[in-house]
Order: sequence, then structure tokens, then C-alpha cells
Amino acid sequence: MTDQRPAMPDDATASAAPSPTSPRHRPFDWVEFWITAALPIAVVLLGVFFYINVPVFFSWRNAINISVQIAALMTIAVPAAMLLMAGKVDLSVGSMLALCGVVAGLSFETLGVPGAVLLTLAVGILGGLINGTLISVMGMSPIIVTLGGLTLMRGLAQWLAPNPLFGFPESFAKLGYERWLGIPYLTWIMIVVLLVGVLVMRFLPVGRRIIAIGINERAAYLVGVRVKLTGLLLYVAVGLATSVAALMSIARINSAPSGTLGVGVELTVLTAILLGGIPFTGGKGSVLRVALALWLLGMLSNGLILMNVPTELSLMITGAVLVFAAGLDLIRTRRAR
Amino acid sequence: MPEHRTSLLNVSDLHKSFGDVEVLKGVSLRVERGEIHAFLGANGAGKSTFLGCLSGAEKPSKGHILFDGEDHTSFTPREALSKGIGIIYQHFQVFEGLTVAENIFLGNELGNMFWVDKRAQIYQAGQLLERLGVSIDPRLLLDELTTGERKIVEIARALNSHPKLLILDEPTAALGEKEMKALHDVVRQVSHKEGIGVIYVTHLLDEIDEIADRVTVLRSGRVVWTRNKADIQPGDLANAIAPASTGEPLPPSGLGLGKSLLAELRNYTSPFTGPINIDVKPGEAIGIYGLLGSGRTDLLESLFGARKKIGGDLIFKGQPIELHSPSQAMAHGISLVASDRTEQSLFGSISAVENLLMPHFGGRVLPSKMRDARAETRLFDKIADKLSVHPPNPDLAANRFSGGNAQKIVLGRWLLDEDIAGRLILLDEPTQGVDVGARAQLYRTLRTVLQLGASVIFASSDPDEVITLADRVLVLGYGRQIAFIDNPRSESELVNMAHRTASLLEAAK
Repeated sequence: MTDQRPAMPDDATASAAPSPTSPRHRPFDWVEFWITAALPIAVVLLGVFFYINVPVFFSWRNAINISVQIAALMTIAVPAAMLLMAGKVDLSVGSMLALCGVVAGLSFETLGVPGAVLLTLAVGILGGLINGTLISVMGMSPIIVTLGGLTLMRGLAQWLAPNPLFGFPESFAKLGYERWLGIPYLTWIMIVVLLVGVLVMRFLPVGRRIIAIGINERAAYLVGVRVKLTGLLLYVAVGLATSVAALMSIARINSAPSGTLGVGVELTVLTAILLGGIPFTGGKGSVLRVALALWLLGMLSNGLILMNVPTELSLMITGAVLVFAAGLDLIRTRRAR
Repeated sequence: MPEHRTSLLNVSDLHKSFGDVEVLKGVSLRVERGEIHAFLGANGAGKSTFLGCLSGAEKPSKGHILFDGEDHTSFTPREALSKGIGIIYQHFQVFEGLTVAENIFLGNELGNMFWVDKRAQIYQAGQLLERLGVSIDPRLLLDELTTGERKIVEIARALNSHPKLLILDEPTAALGEKEMKALHDVVRQVSHKEGIGVIYVTHLLDEIDEIADRVTVLRSGRVVWTRNKADIQPGDLANAIAPASTGEPLPPSGLGLGKSLLAELRNYTSPFTGPINIDVKPGEAIGIYGLLGSGRTDLLESLFGARKKIGGDLIFKGQPIELHSPSQAMAHGISLVASDRTEQSLFGSISAVENLLMPHFGGRVLPSKMRDARAETRLFDKIADKLSVHPPNPDLAANRFSGGNAQKIVLGRWLLDEDIAGRLILLDEPTQGVDVGARAQLYRTLRTVLQLGASVIFASSDPDEVITLADRVLVLGYGRQIAFIDNPRSESELVNMAHRTASLLEAAK
């Protein structure tokens, strides 16, 4: 059930392949251990570092703060990670988030809160359907299609609402601050999405099919995996998650500025996914590690703000962390052969 | 050079381990200048690892490599090349968008750093090819060459860096008989005329007679023996590669199990094949024989819904059916084992058990909605036992298995379902890259499947395999149905039919 597999010596194998000179005991693989543990260790070390500098960092309240800051990102990152495991990418989520936020903001008055929420979710699903149809069904390039979508939907959002929208109904706005059992709604949504992602990837057959597509799409097709449908549904999941994230975002800041809402989200999400160890070509990965990576990014920006470090430096550190993590993974692949 | 007494290559007591698995357990080998040294061994015997140590791709754990009078413990690939070891891999390493001459001089372009002297390249490439006794125009694009000619271009490229030792890894695996002959001529030229030592890896025992001077057989990481060809008795080779795999006749197929036909093709036409008219009885094995490019793969993939059907009908269990995707074919009980394992069948980086079960998650064999590790392992163990998968380790990544064992896992996918009667299993080159021992086991398993009432259509370029396994044979040539014969008497009958008709069709063009 655990994600890491420190290749246990298999007794059945060893006895089936008697080789007199081979040692029975396998030395513990320290390099593999450190590479696998690098991410959790980084989280702990960074936590300690911030705690020493700003003691208030290490508090329940600040943990909740971080979780609220990354909740919308996590909601998108989980399905987007699954999409990348299947070898595809969605760069349009930032603008799709803006478009969904604007649609919600514009429709509260006429449709009421439930109607506006449903419409927003429908817009997200439609966006995912369009991306998925062009890419997975028709075979266009994921990068080109979603890069186009990124620009197109930003334009559409700004055209629909040239000025920032605000003043949402109270029954909706409380999504942004209300708590249940002491934990904000936003955090709960993030937890549920994360659990669904883990469940799908680890315990449901479809999780294996997603990995299979990422490793070898042709072979997956030839064993009966519905490759196009799976890809389409993944894009739809990302679209739906983005619309949920849009609702979360506009509720939290209680406004929907079409020009700035969701800007850069696609890159932050992609950074977390890659930092979480999913290769750009797909075929492997763990949703939990992506969540941990996103938590690391959240901690980094939160802690640096607490330390009054300018955001420019925070950006530089984030970028360096990503490249460093890719370097660690290179050691692993080099050693494998 | 005065050192004619020493061998070109003298490897002594070479060891290589991956983790705690020792793949080479002390291999010694001598290769002389100007000899063709055939190198044989079952899948997983350690051939690729050994060749890797020579070419610099692998670092030996222990042992010496004495090459051309110099002692090495290991090489980098670059050193190996500069010392004069050339290797030609089984998988093609040529570039289709470039010309023959450009391929030959790739990385060693003539001219200076600012421009490539194309005329000189074409001229020299032409001379090189002429020296090899072949007539290939160096200005042609690789796309226009046959598979055999491409192999020869690879050899020419290797010769361009003046090797003293040339390693050929299963060069004839994808070649038809005629192309094989041409390649043999080239190899003889290289070795006997130019004095280059050649290590020639092959699975085809007939080829040994044809080309080898000496033979070394490897088994489980050790050398069984090295002999001059003249000293090899019939049966020695098969015995050395896989002892005890010979003898024991195959069980019969399941022919006569049912009255009604399982499937029928009426004027069936796929993009490059047809019209085909055949019928398939329950428990019957139909062989498709034809040369490379005869349309075998096209037909099989079309029957599996992975390619279009252009015309005609596929009648399955009395009903005409239309298939638009593999998942539809599987729902009808039709499955395919595709020809190229690594490209089309295997998910290299995930475990063997997941590879085995990929088509079955949530299906009849493994119906639970949640994954069930114990049930999965049980199914793997069953197949591992039935097909002797080695090592029988469900958690090992699929790309760590040897070719033959990986093929067993791929084939095992369609043998999991006990209720196999009335199914149609399509196999494209089922034993490609599989050694003699594993082959016999696969044949036996297929016969068991037939006796349980499933039918098989398999394509093979090995006439021996077709004769051994098929109840009836469909002979294809250039996409046309040449014959559908009941009891092919001999290999040569099949080969003749395929070749003669091919040339007749060619003459008619």
C-alpha cells in the first residue's frame, strides 16, 4: 500500500534462481532512500527553518492559513497530476479559472446562488470537453491547444467583465471563510479532492489504465484500454476541478477581477506536479507526493512572507527548488541502468 | 603487424551482476581475425549483457578483455569504437529522412566544420557499398530501401570507422530469406576478405550452417562450449541452448470440437490486404504465412478492430460483426498479441503482474471494483507456473524480464480466463525473439488453449513454426490471398508458394 518500494529481496525468486556466488542479503539502498525521502525531509527542514526565524510559523492557525492559500491550487493539481501521468498536460487552467470566476460573478443576480454555481461547473466541464476532444479524441498537440485556450479564455473573461466583479450574495461568500469542525470549507474541499485522487490512482483499476497510457499509449490501446475516452475524461475532470477552484478563489477574495484572477495558476500547478516527481512524459507518479510538493510551495511562500522576504526572492527560490528536484531524479534514472 | 599469433579478442572470466543477480558468471571467449564466430544462447542467457560489456554499454564486475593486444577491464562506448569494436544492434539505428550516404557518414561527415562534402560522401559511400558487393545507390533516401538493405547500410556505416571486430546482434531477425542470403554474402565479404573478426548473434540454427566458422553457446551466464562448425553434430546446438527441450511431441489441437464455424471471413478486406476468404473452426489453429510486407499484421490488426475494415464481412459465431476498436473486439472474445513486444505490448516500467492484468481490471477475470493485491498475485502465480515465467516475481518491472519471459507475460494475458472456449486469439509473430526452449513451452500452452475450445489465428515468418502449429495455412503475398491449404507437407512447399507467387505478381506489374 505504500508508495515507495525499497525493492525487498524476494525469497521465492532467490530460491528459484540459485546462484552460488550471489549474496542473499541485499544492502539497504541509501541513495534511493535519500532521493525518495528528499521531499518530506525538505518539508520538515523548511518548517524548522521558518520556526527558528519566525516562531509564529509553527502554529495550527498558520497551518490552516497555508491550507487555505493552496486549497484552490490543490483542487486543480490533483486531476492535473493524473492527466500528466497519462502523458498529457493542460496549460489553460489559469484562464479557465478566470472565465469560470467571471461567469459565476455575473450570474449570481439573475440565476441565484445554486443556478450560478451549476452554470460555473458547466462552463468548466465544457472547457474540459473542448480541450479533451481536440487533444485526446482528434489528436492535436496538448501544448498548442491549451496554450491557445489560455490566451483565448483570458480574453473571453475580460470581454465578459471588463471591470472587477464583487459583492457576492452572503450565502455564497461564506464558502470563503466558514468552518466545519474548526477547519475551513476550502480546506475540506481540498482534502476531499485529494482523497478522491488517491483512491482513483491507487485502488481503482482506472488508475492503472492512466499509468499504462502514459507509459505506452499504443500498447494500452491494444489491450482494450479506451485511450481516447480516458484522456477526454481526464481533461473534463481538470475542467470541472478548475471551475470548483474558481468558486473557491472568488469566495475567498470576495471578488472576481477578470484581469488578474488565476494568473500563473497553470505554472504553479505544473511546478508542484513536476516537483512531486511526475515526469513530463507521464507513466508514473503519486498524487500524495504532488500534494506534498504543493504544500512545500505553500509553506515557502507563506514563510518567506512572514520573514518579510520580498516575493521576487521567493520566486527565485521556487524556481531553483524545481531544477534541484529534477537533478535528484536524474541521479535515480542514471543509477537504474 | 607481427602479432599474428595472438587472438583479436580474448575475453577471460568475465562477470557481471545487476544488484544481487549475477548475469554473467565467468564468460571466456576468443575471436580470431577474419573469422565469423556465431554466438548463441536462449533468452536471458546473458548474450545482450556480454555484448554490452564489449561495446562499452555495460561495465563488467570482474574479468579481462584483451583486445588487439591491449588489456582492458572496461570501455566507454566511445573508447570501444575508437579501439575498433563496431556493434550493430538488432533494432534499426538508421534515419529514414536521410540518404544512404548521409546515414553512412553520420557523425563522421566529410568536409570541414562549415560544410559537408556531399559529393565525396556519395562517391566514397558508393565505393564502400561496391566493396561489399551490393548495388545500392548512395543517393537514395533510406525510406526507399528494403529492410535487408537498411541492415547493409548499417554495416557499411560501422565499417566506415575501420573496426577490427564487428558485432552483429540478430541481424537477420526481420529479414526474408532472399535478403538473408544477401546479408550473409556481405558478412562473409567483411570477415573473410577484409580480415575483420565478426561476432554473429542469431536464434536461427539454419543460419549457423550457412555462415559460421566457429560457434559458442551461452547458457545461464556460462559458456557451454565453443566448437568449430565441422565438429558440431546435428542436435548438438539445440541441446546446448536448451537441454531437455527437444523430444516430447506436442499435444494435438482441438480440431473437431464443434460443428459450427467460429468465424468466417468473406471477401474480407483491410487497408493493405484482401480480399480474404477463410473460415475458422472451434479449436483450430490457422497459420498465416508470408514474407515481410505481405499484409499479415494488417489483417490481424484489422480483425482486432485496431485498423479499419475496407470491405467484406467478418462473421463471428454466425453473426456478421463490425469492429471499430480493440475494446469492442475484446467484448466479443477476440484478443490480439501484437508483433512488436516493446513497442506495442509491454508497459516496461510497471510490474509484471500489472502488465499481465492490464486488460482484465474490472473485467470478468478480476471483477472487483477495488484492486485486490492477493487475487492479482494468485493470477500471476498461476500463469507464471503454467508458462514457467522466470523469475516468477510479480513485482519485478516488466522491462527487467528477458525477451522470451516478457513474451510469456504478454501471451499470459489471454490465457487467464478459464472459460476460454469460443474465443479467438490472434497472434502476430508469437515467438519473435523467443528461444528454442521457451518456444516449445509456448507451443504446448497454445495447444492446451486449443483443446479447451478456443481458436487461434497466428502469423509467422518462420515456416517451421507454421508447419508445427497450424491445422490450416493461409499464404499471403503482397496483400493477396495466395492459398488456403489443408495440410502443408513441408516447409519448402510453403516457402516456394510465397516466393514464387510474389515474383509472379512482381512480373505482372
